[in-house]
Amino acid sequence: MKSVINELSSRLRSGEITSRELTEKYISAVEKKNVALNAFVHTTFDEARKNAAYADALIRDGKGNALTGIPMTLKDNICTDGILTTCCSEILENFRPCYDAAVWEKLKNNGAVLLGKTNMDEFAMGSTSETSYYGAPKNPLDETRVAGGSSGGGAAAVGAEIAAYAIGSDTGGSVRQPAAFCGVVGFKPTYGTVSRYGLIAYGSSLDQLGTLTSSVTDAALIFQAIRGADERDMTCSTRNMPQITLDDDVRGLKIGICGEFYKGLGSEVKNAVESALKRYEDAGAELTEIKIPSLEYALPVYYIIACAEASSNLGRYDGIRYGHRARTYSDVEDMIVKTRSEGFGKEVKKRIMLGTYVLSSGYFDAYYKKACILRERMKTEFSKAFVECDVLAAPTVPRGAFPLGYSGGNAVETYLSDICTVPANIAGLPAVSVPCGVDKDGLPLGLQFIGDRFKDGAVLSASYFAEASGICDIYGGVR
Amino acid sequence: MSVTDREFDVLAKLAKLEISGERRAEFLKDFEELIAFADSINAAVVGDTVSISDVGGETVAFENLRTDEVSKSLPQEKITSNTQSENGYFPVKRVVK
Repeated sequence: MKSVINELSSRLRSGEITSRELTEKYISAVEKKNVALNAFVHTTFDEARKNAAYADALIRDGKGNALTGIPMTLKDNICTDGILTTCCSEILENFRPCYDAAVWEKLKNNGAVLLGKTNMDEFAMGSTSETSYYGAPKNPLDETRVAGGSSGGGAAAVGAEIAAYAIGSDTGGSVRQPAAFCGVVGFKPTYGTVSRYGLIAYGSSLDQLGTLTSSVTDAALIFQAIRGADERDMTCSTRNMPQITLDDDVRGLKIGICGEFYKGLGSEVKNAVESALKRYEDAGAELTEIKIPSLEYALPVYYIIACAEASSNLGRYDGIRYGHRARTYSDVEDMIVKTRSEGFGKEVKKRIMLGTYVLSSGYFDAYYKKACILRERMKTEFSKAFVECDVLAAPTVPRGAFPLGYSGGNAVETYLSDICTVPANIAGLPAVSVPCGVDKDGLPLGLQFIGDRFKDGAVLSASYFAEASGICDIYGGVR
Repeated sequence: MSVTDREFDVLAKLAKLEISGERRAEFLKDFEELIAFADSINAAVVGDTVSISDVGGETVAFENLRTDEVSKSLPQEKITSNTQSENGYFPVKRVVK
């Protein structure tokens, strides 16, 4: 794996190519490949050309940095002033925000070039991006498979090399899981390191912006540009975060292995993860067994909290100030009910209903409060674990990419595939997914490193060994 | 745990959703499966006494609240640009008759 950002940046700074020329190349690639992939739901080529002209001026004046002039994408739940931001939902079909999200503000100031908004599950609720109002994005490695979700479009765009990098959001694995399915790197930073201002809320205590990149090096570069305090997001940390130095020397690195992450794994995933970890051991890392008993309840805890917060967050969609409004209705109450019933898809309605149920009188103590108690217990167990190890290693997903249209046997089956990713969100921890092998169909499998809160540098460094040692080159360096 | 039709209607009303017609039975079945899934946490919590107000305290910087003063806001025409605004207002049907 190589740093696409560093390579492009050095060509831009040497004057070999301008950002305008580079942007036109990417635009041509998007036009050629997106018809089949459906990774972009809105292209923003005029904006991209404007951004590229600004980037070229920055570079000319010697004010650019590694991200200046690099074409990228934003997930369609990240607000962009005057540019469609729909959350891939009918209810926001024509919504153009009147401000930029903090993450886009920062990237734009750094001279980033926005190619477009990428496909996702409706309101980020799903694991395949198939709940998108615009239809599912396809996996660039096998178009009969999903790209994962909910940031499936971003992962597909990076995997297909029609964007240098993508910004996604990760509420329960929505950056790491599609990264694993598309053979790219997915990074979910510590909760509170990147401002969520302008990220359309799903589960506010779990949501975190993250990156989809071709390399760990790129993830570290972007993270350092987008992190930092923001008074518009009161959950955004004010602490100073150190410069990240990636080091492929893993001698003495203590890697925790927690059995709960490995329960019921298929042999392909198990073998891929184990052989990757053997390479770490051979290079001087130490594997140590860790116990986090409450992980057994991670999935129901996650879905209870996420749906409870979603039922409240999505209460704002009433058809009055923005978004879809029902055409016929008798009074205001009827208008709101009809608007929401027409505008939300089935999965969103299910999660709003479950959230309403667990918050309702008589069930609040039985579900929501217990889930919060278990969340605190899990956080404590993670804190104890990080006394004994530097990072935890786990599979990202228990399998390779689902076939398109796969629904499993019941309503919760696809939820179960989130088993390895949701714990990092519940506890607010940083986590990285890197490719570590392929399944029998040649589809990528992911290895995940999880670290203690604000130890983003530690998880990126641990993952960097996989990149530097060739573990991530799952197709022998040639895709 | 099964959900009665009446309970389902109350929830739908609280959620401001209308779930009727052919899809209601399918939705109800999925919903019951989700609740059974959520029920699995019940065995895990016995006797804990964490107050809900203590939850998540470390993630919100209450000591760093911004000053409570009027600051610059977005122009009204921009705020109303996503709806068919009338004289700068959000039009809805008459509420008080």
